[in-house]
Amino acid sequence: MRNRFERQLEELNNEIITMGALCEEAIETSIRYLFDGNEELKELIADTEKQINGKERDIEVLCMKLLMQQQPVAGDLRIISSALKMISDLERIGDQALDIASMAIYVEKSGMQTRVHIRDMANATMKMVQYSIESFVKKDVELAYEAIRCDDEVDRLFNTVKNELVDAVANGEENGEALIDLVMIAKYFERIGDHAENIAEWVIYSITGEHV
Amino acid sequence: MSRRIFQASFITSVLVLLISLGLIFGVLIDNFEARLFKEMESEAAYISVAIEAQGIDYVDNFDGSEKRITIVDPEGTVIKDTSADISLLDNHKERDEIAGAMEKGVGRSERYSDTLMERNLYYATKMPDGNILRVSTTYGSVFVLLLGLLKPLILIVLLALVISFVVSKRVSRAIVKPINNIDPDNPAEGEVYDELTPLLRKLSAQKVTIDRQIKDAMQAKEEFRLITENMSEGLLVIDAYTNVLTYNTAALKLLGIEKITGTSALVLNRKKSFREVVNKALGGERCEEALRLEDKHYDLIASPVFEEGKVIGAVIVIVDVTEREKREQLRREFTSNVSHELKTPLTSISGFAEMIKAGDMPMETVVDFSKSIYDEAQRLTGLVSDIMKISEISEKPLSDEKEEVDLERVCKNVIKTLMPLADKRGIKLSFEGGKSIVKGSEKIITEMVFNLCDNAIKYNKAEGKAEIKICETEKDIRLSVSDTGIGIPALHRERVFERFYRVDKSHSKEVDGTGLGLAIVKHGALYHDAEIELESVLGEGTKITLIFKK
Repeated sequence: MRNRFERQLEELNNEIITMGALCEEAIETSIRYLFDGNEELKELIADTEKQINGKERDIEVLCMKLLMQQQPVAGDLRIISSALKMISDLERIGDQALDIASMAIYVEKSGMQTRVHIRDMANATMKMVQYSIESFVKKDVELAYEAIRCDDEVDRLFNTVKNELVDAVANGEENGEALIDLVMIAKYFERIGDHAENIAEWVIYSITGEHV
Repeated sequence: MSRRIFQASFITSVLVLLISLGLIFGVLIDNFEARLFKEMESEAAYISVAIEAQGIDYVDNFDGSEKRITIVDPEGTVIKDTSADISLLDNHKERDEIAGAMEKGVGRSERYSDTLMERNLYYATKMPDGNILRVSTTYGSVFVLLLGLLKPLILIVLLALVISFVVSKRVSRAIVKPINNIDPDNPAEGEVYDELTPLLRKLSAQKVTIDRQIKDAMQAKEEFRLITENMSEGLLVIDAYTNVLTYNTAALKLLGIEKITGTSALVLNRKKSFREVVNKALGGERCEEALRLEDKHYDLIASPVFEEGKVIGAVIVIVDVTEREKREQLRREFTSNVSHELKTPLTSISGFAEMIKAGDMPMETVVDFSKSIYDEAQRLTGLVSDIMKISEISEKPLSDEKEEVDLERVCKNVIKTLMPLADKRGIKLSFEGGKSIVKGSEKIITEMVFNLCDNAIKYNKAEGKAEIKICETEKDIRLSVSDTGIGIPALHRERVFERFYRVDKSHSKEVDGTGLGLAIVKHGALYHDAEIELESVLGEGTKITLIFKK
């Protein structure tokens, strides 16, 4: 019985790693799409997002099964409850990657993306997501704190991008639609950063039992 | 074991003790009974004599407390009894001892006396007057005798018990001691019981077998470890639940991991191609995927492991193909470069020729076009001859006979050849150095120096300088060509020796060159086992040094 429980916990761990990896791929692809506008990438993101949603359901079912059948306590209970919270953040990341992709094409065509610091922001967000997922994979509390610290950088870059866009408006930028889309894309990246921060916090909670 | 032996021996001795005690008691009772009868017999004889002498009333002297004396007449009627009222007694004729005495003169028996309500011993004898004299005593007197023995007996029994306890304990210990002393590593050695010898021999034979098997297993393990640790490919063995069973350090190194933190293979890497390889292999399908990690390219090859038709795990091999990918890239670039370089002049040539073919063109235009065609054809010829040179050098076997080459003469010849070109561009060519001999092919060295100088002139600024210098040290001979030209950006320094590699990507004709010059130098240097040093400052000049070993 115990053995089966351990097996299921391992499965849960693997599923979350896979879901995290899918999210990383989704963001990576949407960033690539934003900068080189290859139409194939959009389908790839849509597909990845679907997989992420599927994984969320699978993991939810698995967590419920574990809770019902095994009545976990202490550390195990913490792992499962934080898994349940984590997957909803991961799922949101997937959605937002798709949202970015849905706007990226207009922005890419306008060429606006090269004129503001959106690339730096995308990279900082990507790094943050990678850190938070890596911290779950390696059960590394330090790395989770590092991911949380990265959020300041993402927020700072968001303000930079925003100011740059305000300047562009002030200077009579004609391409209004791309401008607005870019603001939203920047906001999505900022939101992804927040979700990554949540994930890192859940990682810390699942390991130490302390809420950050 | 010692406990069992102790129990057995102790119980045995206690049993023996009890049984022998019982037997002794039996014998003693018999003995006492016989003695009692004898006593009664002598007493009866004595009383019978006394009665004869003193009359029957002699019997009244006995009070009947110790022995009961009865006199019965031949009819069986009791006429005297020391312990009972004779009027109450019935006829005694049928009693065993009386009947015996009447018949044989003597009778004895042992039974319950109805009169006295206890077990009695009777002895009867026929007196001369015809009456029967019976002496009887209670059986209890046997026990009274034995009871006297009881106290010392209990002491003896207790003592015997203590002795048997101690002895049993010692004996059991003594028996077990040699068994305890058997050395498990060498069971056949040491003196033990003969009965155990076959067992010990068997043990020792088994021990040898086990030792050998362990050694074999250890050796196999060590071999496996050596093989896997020394291979440059990464190796991962996983079970059906993606848990890592075995890995080698190369696998960790290739995947960029310092130590394994979890049990699942997904902890090592979670990239899409890695996940796919794991899933497919565990689905029972052999598969290959390419994996990119930062600037490294890997091939992942995964094979499922079957047992009784079920997938129980997978073996994943990680091969670093970065070099191969790089070469592939170079080859692609080379091919596209060659076709580009060859095609450009041909396009011009055929374009000009087509226009001339259409006719209807003033003479001076035709001459102008012909000149262009000629120039392009020259360029093409130069290119083809460069390609031939480079393939000649790179295909030349290294064992080829090497001659002594005087670098000074080579340099002077090259300068002489290039002087007109240098003059045209207003560049000052100079030479410094003396006679230096290296072993090699004069033709190739000339080619190398020519290309270096050619570059020094071509990629120079107006009114610039180019200098050839030979300096000989103890270990080597250095031939350097330096210029005051445009320099090579740091980014390109690594690659300028590649075939067709041009710093100026547009393959412009501003500076005519084939892109093969430095490639020829590189191959020439390889042929001569010489090193090339490149120093360059952007906008100030370049210095390329050939270092020939002595």
